[in-house]
Amino acid sequence: MGIKTDLANLIGAEKVSDDAKTLALYAKDKSFAKPMTPECVVRVSSGEDVEKLVKWANETKTPLVPVSSGAPHFRGDTVPSVPQAVIVDLSGMKKILNINKQQRIAVIEPGVTYGELSKALAKHGMMISTSLAPKATKSVVGSVLECEPRLNCNHQWAYTEPLRCTEVTWGDGNRMYTGEAGLAPMDLEAQWKEQKWQVEPVGPMMLDYYRLLTQAEGTMGIVSWASVRCELAYQAHKMFLVPAAKEEDLLDFVYRVVHFRFGEELFILNNAQLASLVGETAEEIAALKAELPQWVACVSVGGRDLLPQDRAEQQEADISDIAQQCGLKLQNAVTGVSAAKVLEKATNPCGKTYWKDTFKGSFQDIFFLTTLDKTAEFVAKMEKLAIEAGYTVNDIGVYVQPVHMGSAYHCEFTIPYNPENAKETAKVKALFEKASAEFSAMGAFYARPYGPWARLQLNKDAMGTQTLKTLKGIFDPNNIMNPGKVTI
Amino acid sequence: MALSPEVYKAFEDVVGARNISQDPAVLECYRCYAAQSSAHYGPFDHKTPMPGAVIMPGSTEEVQGIIRLCNKYKIPFKAATTFWAAMGYIGDENAIQLDMRRMKKIEINERDQYAVVEPYAIGAVVQVEAMKRGFNLNMAGVGCSSSTLAGTAGWVAFGPSSLFMGTASENMLAAEWVLPNGEILHTGSLGAGSGWFCGEGPGPSTRAILRGKQGTTGAFGVCTRVAVRLHPWPGPAVIPTYGTIPAYRAKLPETIKTVTVCYPSWDAYAEGANLLHQSDIVYLGHRQFNMFGRDIKTAMIKILNDPDLQLCDLPEIMADPYIKEQNEKMKIEVSLVIVGMTQRDFDYKMKALDEIIRRVGAWKSEFMLEKPIHDWTLLYLLRLGHKNLNYTLCGSYEGNFGMSPNVFVTAPLMESAAKLKDDYAKKYPYIADTGGDSDMGSLAILGGGGVTGWEFFTCFDRFDKASIKGACDMVNISQKWMDDHKLGVDMGHWNANARREDGFNYTQEQHNEMLSKLPQPWVCGYQYLVKKAFNPYDLGGSYYRTCDPASFAKK
Repeated sequence: MGIKTDLANLIGAEKVSDDAKTLALYAKDKSFAKPMTPECVVRVSSGEDVEKLVKWANETKTPLVPVSSGAPHFRGDTVPSVPQAVIVDLSGMKKILNINKQQRIAVIEPGVTYGELSKALAKHGMMISTSLAPKATKSVVGSVLECEPRLNCNHQWAYTEPLRCTEVTWGDGNRMYTGEAGLAPMDLEAQWKEQKWQVEPVGPMMLDYYRLLTQAEGTMGIVSWASVRCELAYQAHKMFLVPAAKEEDLLDFVYRVVHFRFGEELFILNNAQLASLVGETAEEIAALKAELPQWVACVSVGGRDLLPQDRAEQQEADISDIAQQCGLKLQNAVTGVSAAKVLEKATNPCGKTYWKDTFKGSFQDIFFLTTLDKTAEFVAKMEKLAIEAGYTVNDIGVYVQPVHMGSAYHCEFTIPYNPENAKETAKVKALFEKASAEFSAMGAFYARPYGPWARLQLNKDAMGTQTLKTLKGIFDPNNIMNPGKVTI
Repeated sequence: MALSPEVYKAFEDVVGARNISQDPAVLECYRCYAAQSSAHYGPFDHKTPMPGAVIMPGSTEEVQGIIRLCNKYKIPFKAATTFWAAMGYIGDENAIQLDMRRMKKIEINERDQYAVVEPYAIGAVVQVEAMKRGFNLNMAGVGCSSSTLAGTAGWVAFGPSSLFMGTASENMLAAEWVLPNGEILHTGSLGAGSGWFCGEGPGPSTRAILRGKQGTTGAFGVCTRVAVRLHPWPGPAVIPTYGTIPAYRAKLPETIKTVTVCYPSWDAYAEGANLLHQSDIVYLGHRQFNMFGRDIKTAMIKILNDPDLQLCDLPEIMADPYIKEQNEKMKIEVSLVIVGMTQRDFDYKMKALDEIIRRVGAWKSEFMLEKPIHDWTLLYLLRLGHKNLNYTLCGSYEGNFGMSPNVFVTAPLMESAAKLKDDYAKKYPYIADTGGDSDMGSLAILGGGGVTGWEFFTCFDRFDKASIKGACDMVNISQKWMDDHKLGVDMGHWNANARREDGFNYTQEQHNEMLSKLPQPWVCGYQYLVKKAFNPYDLGGSYYRTCDPASFAKK
């Protein structure tokens, strides 16, 4: 029997596709990852489906590539690295299994997007902190497993927040619950009946299983539900913009605001990134970029259930004092852009076209973790490399996001380009590769090692890499889970 | 059997003659009363095994050298720092006990808000250094005399400030760890030489194998340095104190205040706890003084605040109508520390607290707001430096119930739990009879809340066999009660599957038998595979719970 027949018998014929048109959708993405056509696509609908599929893949040594978000994809992690792979498409698993307001926890399947979850949470007076304007098709589970940075670092007690418990089928085909859910029988309904809401992510004993799933690009196992930490919805919420001529001028301000845990969302954008975030067309983005201040710190204040207005006013006054001490000012708008619009754009899923695509049709991101004081050095290096490459420096977007209460900072460069222009595409690809390597040499930490960053990062630490390989051998002994990723 | 001269010499070559001993008098000091739970001091009247030698390494390289020799000669080993409980002690005869007291450096990175600590940097010292720079740390409930690294890297280690500051696993950034096979692993950003700021990645986090929920308690190699997240402290660089020993008090600005909130019922307590979890206003929250027992806590606070009073004055003080009234008013209470980063921040937080109090029909204890008591409580809670008081009543105690996770499940059961203990204490006079409810614990054991920490103190005399047995019986009775209420493992049994009652490690076969019955046995099955990979000679002991998958695959 062929793979398709096998899978049709195993999972159901209606869930399996191998027509050329479907396969083409998964054969490449918008990154520079090498295209590779998969053998077929399976649209699973449950943890049981996943378990059966992984066990079959172990028997047949078939590579599996899990995909949770809908297209477009940007990082190469969902493009097979080896031939004859089967795509495990979880985007149809859209159940919101539970929302518990007492514990501020939602249990969701991998196909649930930010828009869908936010809508459901709103009915309970709740919300979830998002990454920066996620694409409309972005899976929440995918996002939290990837450890995409949250806009509100003050509620990120753990680096992995808001991820809590999961159901995972490891690469060897064993399905289990992680975190506190791992101590009770594998039955969510029964756990809820006992008022166990899948709150604690760690353990449940000596191993932190969920940490093996984060930043893993599907190389360890497949998650079929996850619980995520939510918050009560804002009753008062307002953003302010703090413009500056140089990024360095904003550093003390950000350090102090983060130090005192003031504010809600907090991040830094340069003019190109801010213009892309709020501009609706390429022309508008170009015009805005020319007018906007070079750098803007975006900081919001908010109150939830408890005296929301008082809370927002106190935060505004205290942050305003800090700004003043730093020679800066909180503003409701900067040239042509209101803070309210930035807040609305930043905290909601974007429209059909991903916002970074609007300017030139495509883009390439470079992002890593570092400390705030070093970000200016990376910005200077990027500018130098862009000039050397003949790329327009002013088009490069920069986004700096404190994570984990400010222990580390996500530093992201966005290089827009026209994918129809082969020369420009080649130039950006070369710049991406060069800058990635140079940043690595400067100490950039590619915690999420997509594509070529895996080689750059893993080559720096033989023992860490060997440990990772050993763990991969335990949880995925036949190397069927997304082979070729997060490895050297 | 002591180490052979050849093996002893090999270890001596690593650390020097002054830092190794097999003198029986020294070795005897490294034995602990074995405990049923090992979480505290045990109810059993025998000790953990005698080590083959005690070694005090002074550097990561020395630790690595020792562990390599342990692998070469197949000698079990365990490292400990401040030796709070049996979990720090070896569980095999002739195993090597590493005493980490020579490694105690602290480096603080102010901009990125963390401290890199070595094993013997105790909480008190880390806090003093942090406060000089405007920071504080999540002081684990074990108190400030214990190792910050041990709590962060090796044990559960939540504490009163975990609601605001997060718990140990959340505060652990990058780490340097000598694995049980002798290799040195640097986690997160440290492995790449980028610094200590991140403990995760690259890719799946290797730190997943190092601590989990319970910590590996020295059974999976030796953590030699770890970066611990620090948190804001807007108070003075040094806490000014006044008063007479033992009633030292803190003299802090008006924007740092402690309030004891009292509730009319446990339902109101649960609702209040939930609101406090959601509010972002609490710097520290703990039900502390109830550990003495509900009937006597106010009188005990009075005694501890007056150097002229003693335990023998308890009956007289309890008879005081004012104390009686105040004690009655704070039957169900939690003590909070509210810290304003600014005056405005403080004003908002106090107003929000008043709103919570209004919503749940609670009140502030007037007794706890009396200036001397307020200032004493503030120092007590911020420093957690009074752990000796845990032992005041009978010289020893065991934690039990420990019914933590969901406050809405556990709070309504508190009276039932209290009655169980009260009935037992009244019927069998082997444990302190202080009113049944002797529950204490942290308002939250996870950053931002959602999970609470409970612990009943069962105080007993560990030099009295009847009392030892009484404490044991109480723990077993409460486990049955926990089972009946589907609340999981009683705190007194947390480590019952880690060390045998005779103080020795479990064998793999014994662990297989016990752990294959877990609802999800792969939890320990993968731990077995990880142990085989990184600890091939099984040198760490049975606190690292493992179950050979073959033992449950068959069933």
